[in-house]
Amino acid sequence: MKTAKPAQSPLEIRDLVKSFRTGFLQSKKVTAVGGLSFSLEEGEIFGLLGPNGAGKTTTLKMITGLIFPDKGEVKIFGHPSAEVKARARIGFLPENPWFYDYLTAREFLRMAGGIFSLRGPALEKRINGLFDQLGIAHAADLPMRKYSKGMLQRAGLAQALINDPDLVIMDEPLSGLDPIGRRELREIILGLKARGKTVLFSSHILSDVEEICDRVAILARGRLREIGSVESLLDMGTNGAELEVGGDPERIGAIADTLALEWVRSMTGGRVIISADADTATVLRAFLDAELPILELKRHRRSLESIFVAQSEKAKKEA
Amino acid sequence: MGPILALASNTYREAIRNKVLYSIGIFALLVILVGNFLTDISLHNDKRVLFDVGIGLLSTFGLILAVFTGTSLIYKEIDRKTIYLILTKPVGRAQFLAGKMLGLTASVYLVLGLMFVLLVGQSLFMGTGAPPQLYKAALLILFEVFIVISITTLFSSFSTPFITGMLTLGIIVIGRLLPDLKQIILTKYQADAMRDLADRLLQVFPQLYLFVPNGHDFNGQYVSLTAEFVTWGYIGWTALYALVYSGIILMISAVIFRRRDLT
Repeated sequence: MKTAKPAQSPLEIRDLVKSFRTGFLQSKKVTAVGGLSFSLEEGEIFGLLGPNGAGKTTTLKMITGLIFPDKGEVKIFGHPSAEVKARARIGFLPENPWFYDYLTAREFLRMAGGIFSLRGPALEKRINGLFDQLGIAHAADLPMRKYSKGMLQRAGLAQALINDPDLVIMDEPLSGLDPIGRRELREIILGLKARGKTVLFSSHILSDVEEICDRVAILARGRLREIGSVESLLDMGTNGAELEVGGDPERIGAIADTLALEWVRSMTGGRVIISADADTATVLRAFLDAELPILELKRHRRSLESIFVAQSEKAKKEA
Repeated sequence: MGPILALASNTYREAIRNKVLYSIGIFALLVILVGNFLTDISLHNDKRVLFDVGIGLLSTFGLILAVFTGTSLIYKEIDRKTIYLILTKPVGRAQFLAGKMLGLTASVYLVLGLMFVLLVGQSLFMGTGAPPQLYKAALLILFEVFIVISITTLFSSFSTPFITGMLTLGIIVIGRLLPDLKQIILTKYQADAMRDLADRLLQVFPQLYLFVPNGHDFNGQYVSLTAEFVTWGYIGWTALYALVYSGIILMISAVIFRRRDLT
């Protein structure tokens, strides 16, 4: 009986280590990435987070073969990243992409397509489709030195998608974009996911990451600090809840005092802070029994930002 | 070949749009000046002056173009980070170097080709004709330029444009003066071991003097653009030498560039 071949992970990173030598005599060794391991699942959007110097860009450069790890391995769809064919199914958008000033976006995309041995009407159709999708069709035949930052970012994305890659890797794609540009890029990333593509990107813009990523990894000082789905990371820090109750603030306060909970007056009545060790059901029942309307129950969750900051601080202290 | 051709055509486009063609205008002016003035004062040697100066200018311009455009060939890609958009695609580093080298060669050849057309036009206009010697000399220049471009590619793969330029110029001087340097060594050192060592060291350098066979060639025959010149067999042999030497240099460049971190 034939068994189905297990799907190959788009990206597997194991024990990745990279250090650089710095200083006048290159005598000082700085570890940029120290023992990083994670893998991507097909069709997910994965965010790589971390403060400046965390090792995000170094990791992405090792994945794409621009720099070589001291130790460890990177496999893209099962192929070691050093192999040329490993890069056949990826698209890469570097941070602040630089282009050849003398080329138009169309000429650049033709060259990019040529590297993938794409040519003729199929390539032209693909190029025009990308220009339309990314909203730069009007500037396709202008030299790229005349492009704004947002247009350069779109041209960069167009070249990353020229081969219809299965894994799209982007380094800080949202930085420097205005809110509309960010929203459009978020939609493009979600569109890629909808088409079954896997997306890996690094970012500082946590609200966007929280909104579109399935999973995130937080790096600090070259080490993996947290990894998991956005939901699980945020839930890990669940710390009680807030209850908005309508009605007489004096009655709300009396019940809260009985339950030894903090409370504050609000426009509609009172806001009761349910501590982590309190039983939420008991608190709710107490107010319902007193026939006070429950207006809102909100869980206290960590924000991605608080996790990010906490991990960065922790890494700093450890160092 | 797809990636190499894509990169070569891009490098060619870059060179052409970098206003390198303006050098043709300067050359055209020089050729016309040569035609109109030098021949007037050459005492019936107008043909010789036109050919020697014309081919001399072609060779000089070829080397200048090769060195000046080649020095920043790889460095600029790394410095401007355009290489990030290329090497993250399925293209090997050796293919990248080969594409850059071929594109640059094509652009320098285009300029030299146009210069040669001007020289031939001027020769015909002045009634001196355009004998095969001119074509042979031009081919030798193209071969020499190919070797020089491969050397700039090698140095450009690991050093700055300034160092690349200096090293390449040094190698051109040594390559052109190799027979004289060998003679100096033979005169200076008496010990056979030292002579052998020096001779082997000099063999590493490109034999660029082969591409400017003025005076005597290797059979002791007198060669000149206006009299007997080298044979077509010699041209074929030098073409093979240029291809093999440049191929080896490209392989060394690829080995150096293969594991370079592009930070």
